[in-house]
Amino acid sequence: MSVIVCHACDLAHREDGIVPAARVRCVRCRAELYRTSAAGVDTAIALALAALVLFIIANAYPLVAFKVNGTTRMATLTGAALGLYDQGYATLGLLVTFTAVLVPLTQILAFLYVLVPVRLGFRAPGQERLLRVLTALRPWGMSEVFVLGAIVALVKLSSEAEVAPRIALVAYGLLMLMLAAMASVTPTEQFWRWINRRHR
Amino acid sequence: MDKPEAPVSSPPVRAAVTGRSLGLRVCTRCRATLRGIAAAAQRCPRCRSPVHVRRPHSLATTASLVITAAILYIPANVLPVMRTHTFLSDQDDTIMSGVISLAHSGSWPVALLVFFASIVVPLLKLIALGEIVIAVSRRSVRQPEQRSRLFRVVEYVGRWSMLDVFAMSLLVALVQVQSLATVEVRPAALAFAGVVVLTMLAAQSFDERLLWDGESRG
Repeated sequence: MSVIVCHACDLAHREDGIVPAARVRCVRCRAELYRTSAAGVDTAIALALAALVLFIIANAYPLVAFKVNGTTRMATLTGAALGLYDQGYATLGLLVTFTAVLVPLTQILAFLYVLVPVRLGFRAPGQERLLRVLTALRPWGMSEVFVLGAIVALVKLSSEAEVAPRIALVAYGLLMLMLAAMASVTPTEQFWRWINRRHR
Repeated sequence: MDKPEAPVSSPPVRAAVTGRSLGLRVCTRCRATLRGIAAAAQRCPRCRSPVHVRRPHSLATTASLVITAAILYIPANVLPVMRTHTFLSDQDDTIMSGVISLAHSGSWPVALLVFFASIVVPLLKLIALGEIVIAVSRRSVRQPEQRSRLFRVVEYVGRWSMLDVFAMSLLVALVQVQSLATVEVRPAALAFAGVVVLTMLAAQSFDERLLWDGESRG
């Protein structure tokens, strides 16, 4: 018999083995004690690879096109951050870059860095630290908020000029889905179980 | 320990068995329960994060972040966050006037969305976190179930307030047609982003277990 202590209310629970593919909640405060998923390492790696391809498209191509008086202006993701920087709002530019670009990229690369070795049966150096960073970064990845923000910007401009979503916005929308799927197949507990199963 | 023994006729105490009462700790980062020798360690043996019975200075950190965010909330909503130059005129927009002009242009679902994300959610966060901090500091957490539910809602919806910052960044990048129309960021946008980031940090630095410690005491 082992004990699981709730991280949110400190209640101790008796636990007879981790339940696979389940979400286990605290009986008192309903916080999630742990969640395990039925998906394998392969699924997680496949999702991360798809996310990486979408990330590259989302950054390399324009998100939106804006047509006025015969000239067309395109905005890319980096262009959006640089625009803020050029106007003297470097902090805002950094915040946008961090939440919409850097955090998703870190999540994808850290996933691959830790999971590919797990798949091949060896240990990635520094994986514990990386997983800790990954958990800390989770609330700061805002890809879904960015997609909605882009839609708001499109609606705001649509009354004044001709605007259209471009390929990178579609890619970014799909990237958002991939990131959500990655988070759902790899709850924190699952990650640690994959790592520990092979090495202890 | 120093309490006198309860008389036999009194109702049974709701004594919850907590990690603290068993001498166990839980890592708030990777959620591992630490037993035996590990429970006395400074760092989680699994993810190497610092482990505490209760996070040190959690309440003071949360309180100061909430107060700072509450101060920033005023300029963020009163002062203009954006300026639109056209060859006819200059127009300053606050968060609220942006919502109103969206509603006027007929896209009221989007206007409603921005209204909730940019005005209601930050206000709700400040009120909820402020109330939680006051309740915990007075040790008068009467309904921990409701308060923890409220806290989790706040934690979950907080990031959506970044919506306007992202929308603004794209407007600035797109509307740069020389001598025809340009969009410029105003300083209050910084205050607005500050409210979002600080309230997120405030929620993250709060140790939820403080809400339940009154229950466990008896």
